Amino acid sequence: MKTVHLFTLSALFAASSALAHTMNVLPSHYVQSKTGGYVTVDLFASNMTFQADKGVVVDGFKVVLPDGTVAKAAAAAQGKRKSIADVELSVAGTYRLEMGGQPRYFTSYKVGGEQKRLMGDKQKAAKELPKDATDVVTTQGRNRAMAFVTVNGPTDTVLKTTGQGLEFSFDRHPADIVAGEAVTVTLTLNDKPIEGVKADLSFDGELYRNDPARQHLVTDKAGQFSFTPANAGRYLLEASAEAVLKSEKADKIREGFTLSFEAALP
Amino acid sequence: MKTTCSVALMLALGFSMPAIASDLAISLQLPKISEGQYHRPYVAVWVEDSSEKSVRLIEIWREKPDWIKDLRRFWRKTGRSDQPLVDARTGATKGPGAYQLRWDGKDDKGALVPNGEYQLVIEAAREHGGRQLVKQKFNWDGSAITLTVAAGNEIGEVQLSRKAS
Repeated sequence: MKTVHLFTLSALFAASSALAHTMNVLPSHYVQSKTGGYVTVDLFASNMTFQADKGVVVDGFKVVLPDGTVAKAAAAAQGKRKSIADVELSVAGTYRLEMGGQPRYFTSYKVGGEQKRLMGDKQKAAKELPKDATDVVTTQGRNRAMAFVTVNGPTDTVLKTTGQGLEFSFDRHPADIVAGEAVTVTLTLNDKPIEGVKADLSFDGELYRNDPARQHLVTDKAGQFSFTPANAGRYLLEASAEAVLKSEKADKIREGFTLSFEAALP
Repeated sequence: MKTTCSVALMLALGFSMPAIASDLAISLQLPKISEGQYHRPYVAVWVEDSSEKSVRLIEIWREKPDWIKDLRRFWRKTGRSDQPLVDARTGATKGPGAYQLRWDGKDDKGALVPNGEYQLVIEAAREHGGRQLVKQKFNWDGSAITLTVAAGNEIGEVQLSRKAS
């Protein structure tokens, strides 16, 4: 098994600008009061929050059921501006809807002063790199876009962190986020609280106002930041982090996630 | 025997419900709404303690389970996690009019609540219509209560009254 060694925290820095587009998992409903129904989930890349720009390949979409088992969408289709997936909610509890999730590897290098990149881990790069390549760095990257949907009573199984990569935990259940009430988020990278990660909190309707009014948040020594959603509505939390990594496959890890959620009326 | 007599007397005097003098009487009005489509509102009435935890569900008027979630606070505080309680307190939706409810000072398990500050919460949501939340704090310590909450768009005037015990 691959082992991951994190170097000092000072080696960490945010890389939120590395992604051109933001991935969104946006369910039609976050809360349901009966089992046996469905939500339809929009899957898209965007620049402005919740303004669908580009439909994404639906293969990477999965549903984590309240008991932790993974299911596929009941139906899915890719559109030009957004893709959609129907998710059946046959049992009560909290579901995690997730796009992406598998680590990918790419190796960047220079030849004759020109920056180049190939898709592949260190082993693949060793075979394929030109002999005169310099500044070789292999990155293990993972980007996930998520949302939680709760049917009847909230449950915690799908919220549990795994200790792998960049993960978040809230001091309250996502179904309990209410306008005007503070929420504290803890970010961990490979199970350790991570300081200095930049996160962006934005809310619905950026197309219809001049000031996007995004909150720029940074984790403290405990890996935490807090925010208070001023109004009820749909919000997007985005964060990404990098760290030095020593494994057979990569020199660096870069992880990012987005989470859409709603702040309910008080 | 004395109690029976007094209940009989109150009934004779026109009280709609037998009640002990120390109950909290809640008078709730649902307004007549003529603009737009009208569907009867879903309404929940409950009591929260000073930490805003629901201690007693008094009434929930609703039809299909699909839409109970639109009573956002009710759903979060009680509805989503106690189906038997919701079923036990469920009544049919009601149209415009005045409704008399009571709270006997007991929690959902039937135990008397300790003295302290509580709040009456009324939430109403209407399909194709609005939603309103009324919260009215009161002291539950045996003293008299006379409080009025002004009418809003979805919930009419609310009166709370209690005789000193």
